[in-house]
Amino acid sequence: MLPAITPAIRLMPPARRALAALAALALAAAMVLSAPLSALALDTAKCTARPNGNTGSEVYGGSETRLTWEGQADADEPVAGLSITFPAGTTFSTDDARLTMLSGEKLMDRTTIDAQLASDGETFIATFDEPLPAGAYVRAEIYEVTFPTSGGEMPIKGTYTLEDGTTMPVEDITPIMVEGVSPVDQLSKALEESDWVKAWNSNKFLRLFFNPSIVVSSFPIVFQGFLMAVAIVAVAFPIAIPIGLCLSLMRMARLRLLRGIASLYVNVVRGTPLFLQIYIAFFGLPLAGIQIPSFPLGVVVLSMNSAAYLCEIFRAGIQSIPAGQTEAARSLGMNGAQTMIFVIIPQTVRRVIPTMTSEFILLYKDTSMLAAVGVMEVVMYAKTIVASTGSITPYIVAACFYLVITLPLAKVVGRLEHRLAGGRPRRKHRPGAAKPLQGTDSAGVTAYVTDALTSQPVIKNDTADAGR
Amino acid sequence: MKMKKWGVLAVSAAMVAALGLFGCSGGNDAKPADDKKAEEPKTEAPAEVTLMKDGTLTIVSSPDYPPFENLENGEIVGFEVDLFNAIADKMGLELEIVPLQFDAIIPAIAAGGQGDVGVSGFSVDPDRAKEIDFTESFYIDDQAVAVMDSSSITEDNAAEALNQADVIIAVQTGTTGETFAQENFPNATIQGYGNSTDCFAAMQSGNATAVCTNLAVVNRMLKDAYSDARVVLEIATGEEYAAVVSQDNPELTKQLNEAIKALKDDGTLEELTQKWF
Repeated sequence: MLPAITPAIRLMPPARRALAALAALALAAAMVLSAPLSALALDTAKCTARPNGNTGSEVYGGSETRLTWEGQADADEPVAGLSITFPAGTTFSTDDARLTMLSGEKLMDRTTIDAQLASDGETFIATFDEPLPAGAYVRAEIYEVTFPTSGGEMPIKGTYTLEDGTTMPVEDITPIMVEGVSPVDQLSKALEESDWVKAWNSNKFLRLFFNPSIVVSSFPIVFQGFLMAVAIVAVAFPIAIPIGLCLSLMRMARLRLLRGIASLYVNVVRGTPLFLQIYIAFFGLPLAGIQIPSFPLGVVVLSMNSAAYLCEIFRAGIQSIPAGQTEAARSLGMNGAQTMIFVIIPQTVRRVIPTMTSEFILLYKDTSMLAAVGVMEVVMYAKTIVASTGSITPYIVAACFYLVITLPLAKVVGRLEHRLAGGRPRRKHRPGAAKPLQGTDSAGVTAYVTDALTSQPVIKNDTADAGR
Repeated sequence: MKMKKWGVLAVSAAMVAALGLFGCSGGNDAKPADDKKAEEPKTEAPAEVTLMKDGTLTIVSSPDYPPFENLENGEIVGFEVDLFNAIADKMGLELEIVPLQFDAIIPAIAAGGQGDVGVSGFSVDPDRAKEIDFTESFYIDDQAVAVMDSSSITEDNAAEALNQADVIIAVQTGTTGETFAQENFPNATIQGYGNSTDCFAAMQSGNATAVCTNLAVVNRMLKDAYSDARVVLEIATGEEYAAVVSQDNPELTKQLNEAIKALKDDGTLEELTQKWF
């Protein structure tokens, strides 16, 4: 069908152009004879289409947009009508269309132009009730413009009519770049029109929370945010661990100053909301002349925050190791650092893994707060779609992206806790005795093992007695 | 053993979900007609306004938009607050203001339950009108772009200088300023913030080059808090401000329109405009 129509349309503009050229020539001749010269043109100041994607500046085919055209008439041209021709396959509506004349030094004074609006399929025709004053600046806004789904460069043509009835082409209209419709959007559109979705959406609750077409269209967009959130947490958490460990060692240090610094930091960070910390970092630091891009800054804020919590987790873990462990290690000739590295910390790690995983879950969820300062993560993308569609569905999609990570991890935490509490699975893996603790050999002492479940030290090697 | 437990769990979860859905759908089916069109659902009971709380007009607003509405000494004040106080008076209702982030207001009004009317400097827009109903407009405003005094962007080069890849324009998400910036400065990065005060804070702190929002707001912000910033571009978009009402509540829209018209006629609207702008 389309190819059949296209040639017909293609034929029209040249005909019109020829007519316009003829008219222009005639008029020019008349002008030369009569009075001052003029350039005779309605120059396009701008011609744009409103972005109609869920985010970003792109104009997509297949969904509605608004075309805004603005042009400046020559000083002696009283414009009486305007027509704008869209490329084949484009639909539009004359409803809601607005014609405005802008005047004043900065073009800040608006006058609505009363006009008769008509459409012949691909051309929007406005005939003004009264010709405008010569040299007017005109804006036309046309709603419900739908470009073809294939996208590409969309040439827009226009003509204008003067008071005396001459019609001339509007010059310099830059074509509008239209993005083709992605398969996802096509699917979303198809869903929107299918019967079961219509039936589903007739229920207000289902429409607002689980609109299938919005689920489909928001999925790839929110997914970008998901990648961002995962990237943030994947960088922030590994940074937070060593900082947290250092802080916990500082908190247990003999030196009062170190203890003071660490506990001040931990108490301040844990005692203030993360939201506030983000605001201070994002709006405060730049004021102090420190410019950091938002991704690294977000990572830094989150890892600094998480470090304070991890510090307390590690401290609790280390302090939960019975004093006998330290005493035994020291009595075997290890110095303080060796005791910490080879005896205490390995035991601590097993104990704190469940709590650390919980902290990871918290940190992952906290990335959502960066939305408030413009970091494009899950909630931020969901929010922009909610704002443009008025449906809560994108938030539900966003929730799924959090659950994808948090649910399996919560399961892991549960299992680890079960094992720590002396759960059964451990017995299966236990052939005879507990595994020897790694690293003890390098300390050059007797193999010294610990049952991770009970943290009761077990002397595995009988030669230990012999050594006494 | 384990399988059985899972089965029981799945079945009970499904039942709970089904119950929840039925509960909701039942509640909703009763109200709007079964038709897919939500535009004229209540034909059987015309002259009745549904309000969230009897005798109270609950408006939802994002109080970060001076002079339309903002927090001053812990109280929400502004042009629209005064206007809706007058409207509530006309309708014989009490006024209650519920604060909510701007981009959440239209969804909240469409979904219902949080308030009766969304009043937060909404520009009338046919796209928005698909989700909610607009009342009569009560103010007309334009768009403007502001930069810090230290910026190299001037009034003369603003149109081109703003449309550069290294320019970041702060906008409030969900506003007409956001779409305006996206449409007219496609090369720039359009950075969305939750409220307009954050946009200005971001510009001042150097996180953004410029702010694009409604002219009245830019003027007020520059006057009150950001004397070191200036307006480089004004665009007469002629946006009409109106309140938003759920499409399920056409009677309320009608009564609000009557009240707005009455206030226009008796000069109150003009008086308030004089007071705030």
